[in-house]
Amino acid sequence: MKKILIVEDQPDIRKLIRMTLEFEDYEIHEAADGAFGLRMASAVGPDLVLLDVMMPGELDGLQVCQRIKSDPKLAGLKVVLLTARGQARDREAGQLAGADDYLVKPFSPLQLIETIERLVATA
Amino acid sequence: MDTPLLASHADGDPSALGLADPAMAQAQLERVIADLGRMYRERNDALRALARAHHEALLRLSIAAEFRDDDTGVHIVRMGFLAESLALALGQSTAWAKLLRMAAPMHDIGKIGVPDNVLKKPGPLTREERDVMNRHAQMGADILGASEVPLFKLASEVALSHHERFDGGGYPRGLAGAAIPLSGRIVAAVDYFDALTMDRCYRNALPDAQALEMMASERGRLFDPLVVDTFLDRADAMVALRERINSHRPQFSAVLDDEPLSALTP
Repeated sequence: MKKILIVEDQPDIRKLIRMTLEFEDYEIHEAADGAFGLRMASAVGPDLVLLDVMMPGELDGLQVCQRIKSDPKLAGLKVVLLTARGQARDREAGQLAGADDYLVKPFSPLQLIETIERLVATA
Repeated sequence: MDTPLLASHADGDPSALGLADPAMAQAQLERVIADLGRMYRERNDALRALARAHHEALLRLSIAAEFRDDDTGVHIVRMGFLAESLALALGQSTAWAKLLRMAAPMHDIGKIGVPDNVLKKPGPLTREERDVMNRHAQMGADILGASEVPLFKLASEVALSHHERFDGGGYPRGLAGAAIPLSGRIVAAVDYFDALTMDRCYRNALPDAQALEMMASERGRLFDPLVVDTFLDRADAMVALRERINSHRPQFSAVLDDEPLSALTP
């Protein structure tokens, strides 16, 4: 079973994301901030991380994404950024950080599940 | 699903039951997502059932074509499993190999459109009759259609390309080498071997060793050298698989199922 890690600081949103991912059969893990998310990524070994961009704490989503993508031990781990900011330069920042895809809040549940299905199918 | 979040709001304050109440809004969103999830799964189940019914109808048509050409229908089941096994040995993904197992049995579906006086003619065909016979590749591709569904796309590709020759002398398009889709190159070799090693009305089955020798001599002519080498390398396993299929006499629906190869292991 594919493993998905959700990194999102707001519990209500995290719950909605989890419910959406439960449309398919995934093993789902959750983290409430960037630093904890990064540790969980190493500990759990997920196939894909869904990362909120703006989170309180020492690491935001972009930084977590950069660290994941530059860590050889996490090679092949897919990252999808989820953010309330949909400006062109935000997408560009996401691309620069190495994200595999970029979704905007309020998120579309079908777009989210289809994006994840597509990415983990090739993972 | 009861929502404990609302318990503290539920009595006394009517305004607490609207979406202006964040707890109510969240609970309502969760309900909507839960319903969406149910519809998502029901939709996917319905699509799978539809694709399976479509596949089954086309397989039955393939069997009808096969019956006209003097066989029991087991040939097309063997074709599916042998093609899958060869695809895996060639390093293809399990997903693609499985798709080929489901698609390969439909390779000769176009024979349904070849008249009896040609299909069942004893002895050699005239040039005109040969042209009519050779049209079954294109007819098969047309019956399977220009579908966007990966299974039927692949099946159509197989039907169209399984009589191309590696040296370019085949039909209908005279493609050569890697221009022939891998699916067609695999099915051509498997079809050849299986046809030689089964009883026909006009001759008995050839011994496996003789059929393998004949296949080897067509290396680079009829067939892709890599496909032939891979087949010959694991000839024992291919023959064993064929024998398992013959002794189990599986229904054609075996090629539809998810884990039939394991079901066939003794």
